[in-house]
Amino acid sequence: MTAQVQARVDPDTARDLYSRMAVIRRFERLAYRAYERGDVHGTVHVSIGQEAVAVGVIGAMGEADTVLSHHRGHGHALAKGVDPGQLMAELCGRVDGVSRGKGGSMHSTDVANGFLGTMAVVGSAVPLAVGVALANKVKGIDSVCVAFFGDGAVNQGVLYESLNLAALWSLPVVFVCENNSYAITTSADESTAGEGVVARAKAFGVQAESIDGQDVIAVEETAARLISGARAGRPALIEALTYRFMGHSRGDPPHGVYRTKAELSEWTQRDPLTLLVDAAGLDPATVEALDAEAAAVAEAALAFAVQSPVPAEDELMRGVRA
Amino acid sequence: MTRVSAPTVQEVQTTFAEALCAAHEDAMRLDPSIVLLGQDIRAGFPFGATKGLVDEFGPDRVINTPISEAATMGCGVGAALAGIRPVVEVDFSGFLLLGLDQLVNNGAKLRYMSGDQVSIPLVVRVGQGPLGSFAAQHSQTQHAYLAAVPGLTVLAPATVQAAYDALRWALVHDDPVVVLEDMRLYRQQGTLVRGLAPDDITSTLHREGTSLSVVTYGHGVILALQAAKVLAAEGIEVEVLGLNSLAPLDVAGIASTARHTRRVLCLADDPPLFGVAATIAMVAGTEAHDVLRAPVLSLGSRPVPTPYAPDLERLVFPTVEGVVEAARRLHGWEE
Repeated sequence: MTAQVQARVDPDTARDLYSRMAVIRRFERLAYRAYERGDVHGTVHVSIGQEAVAVGVIGAMGEADTVLSHHRGHGHALAKGVDPGQLMAELCGRVDGVSRGKGGSMHSTDVANGFLGTMAVVGSAVPLAVGVALANKVKGIDSVCVAFFGDGAVNQGVLYESLNLAALWSLPVVFVCENNSYAITTSADESTAGEGVVARAKAFGVQAESIDGQDVIAVEETAARLISGARAGRPALIEALTYRFMGHSRGDPPHGVYRTKAELSEWTQRDPLTLLVDAAGLDPATVEALDAEAAAVAEAALAFAVQSPVPAEDELMRGVRA
Repeated sequence: MTRVSAPTVQEVQTTFAEALCAAHEDAMRLDPSIVLLGQDIRAGFPFGATKGLVDEFGPDRVINTPISEAATMGCGVGAALAGIRPVVEVDFSGFLLLGLDQLVNNGAKLRYMSGDQVSIPLVVRVGQGPLGSFAAQHSQTQHAYLAAVPGLTVLAPATVQAAYDALRWALVHDDPVVVLEDMRLYRQQGTLVRGLAPDDITSTLHREGTSLSVVTYGHGVILALQAAKVLAAEGIEVEVLGLNSLAPLDVAGIASTARHTRRVLCLADDPPLFGVAATIAMVAGTEAHDVLRAPVLSLGSRPVPTPYAPDLERLVFPTVEGVVEAARRLHGWEE
């Protein structure tokens, strides 16, 4: 017996998973910088620290499967194949943005890549996913819809109405709760009674599991299993325990009134990228090369975004109706 | 020589609710992607607008929902997003409020927010107005608010044929359409010709006249036509323009009747302030200010939650007598 730990994934898969998480990380860091420079407007919510959930779940999906997301959705978009340049252009409010600059960071949509959109009213994408799954069933299309939401949505009534419909009608839908512990400054413990979202989902007969959302391999394995069940008409819920390393939105410091530096530091020790490096035994040179590639992708995205024109005035009333 | 016979037009006498049912049926036969979602719709409860459809189209297309208005509306929006045509039935206006987040934040905005990538061909049917002592939560109207939401198309049919046409049109339209069905009209009798979906829904000139115009919609058309009969006996000839669509609004039609009679009464089922009449009056005033012989008058409901007691309820919504009185006042207005 050797002391060496068996790597949990093969090197190619590990490099691929790392690369996809690294692109999200670099993209969002750059989005923050672009916000400071005034290229990104309004507000921006980044998912730094939560990349394993997006990459793990979406990595387990097929091309014909679709995603609905929320205000913290850049990672989901990139993982689903949205072009980083077009996504950054959307954040910058430019015509080459995925939504022609009309949606912004909170409403990026890319139907061609199965990224059906992000809803910024907490929990409101959840019933849409039920409807997408119903339509797929009616049309006889083999396609699962995944709805992402946060722990903040766990106390929205529409989530439970949706779980009920999904179970009642045996729909191909998977609900993914990214429990990053805080809804802005309010902790999940402060807002959620009882045993949490998994127990609640099980009460509807929906198969539900709580997993380590920092471990991309575990996320992908669980998601693959539950998505396959959903495809066969058994809707499912995944609670991925994760943490956002940054504040809720731009202007909210990573630690302060509602969480301590010590707590933050405990979680940053569990960075999904480093955990994967350890689990897969990726060597430093490989990691450095993948980081450099990811940085280049993000830089190219921003360069593309800022050269894209701002929408002309005649764009204003276009697309209100067909 | 061959005789060319006129195309067979089957005219039947039916009710407003049965016309809606017929519209569902005709549209569903043509388009297998139409799916109905709502409470008790398999039974056709409470007004019969979906009665018997489950027998022809089956439970997979005529889907009873639990009492979960928010998720049902969201499900409708999502299903439309994914390319089928759902009809969400909301029996009473009060219940629509639970689904409004999904309808307004998602349904109405997704096309625009996505940069025109997606269509939401969703039809929402909602009962509106009073039904007679159903009290405040079951007796309200939402026309003005819904018509003010960018991205929503809002229809308000007044006749059996208009109800059929509105729904047929909505079921081939690529954006969310809300059909507001005045509950007092469900049992109204009228003539129906079933046929193709119309090309457009605008307004109907129900009666021509020269003395003054009543511009209204839904149940207001019935009141205006009854009032017109009374007024005709007094030598006042009323023109009645029924708006089958509130959004988009037939501005040209309002302008035309306003310029023709030069006196306009706006008749609505909501309070005049911030209500539908305020908008019609604004349009009529702007479009015909140079020819109007009197200020544009408005008649609507009293600003009060609808009371239960019949003697109080009948004071809330416009009546034939109220329309007659307002028309006389308008007609007698000294320049």
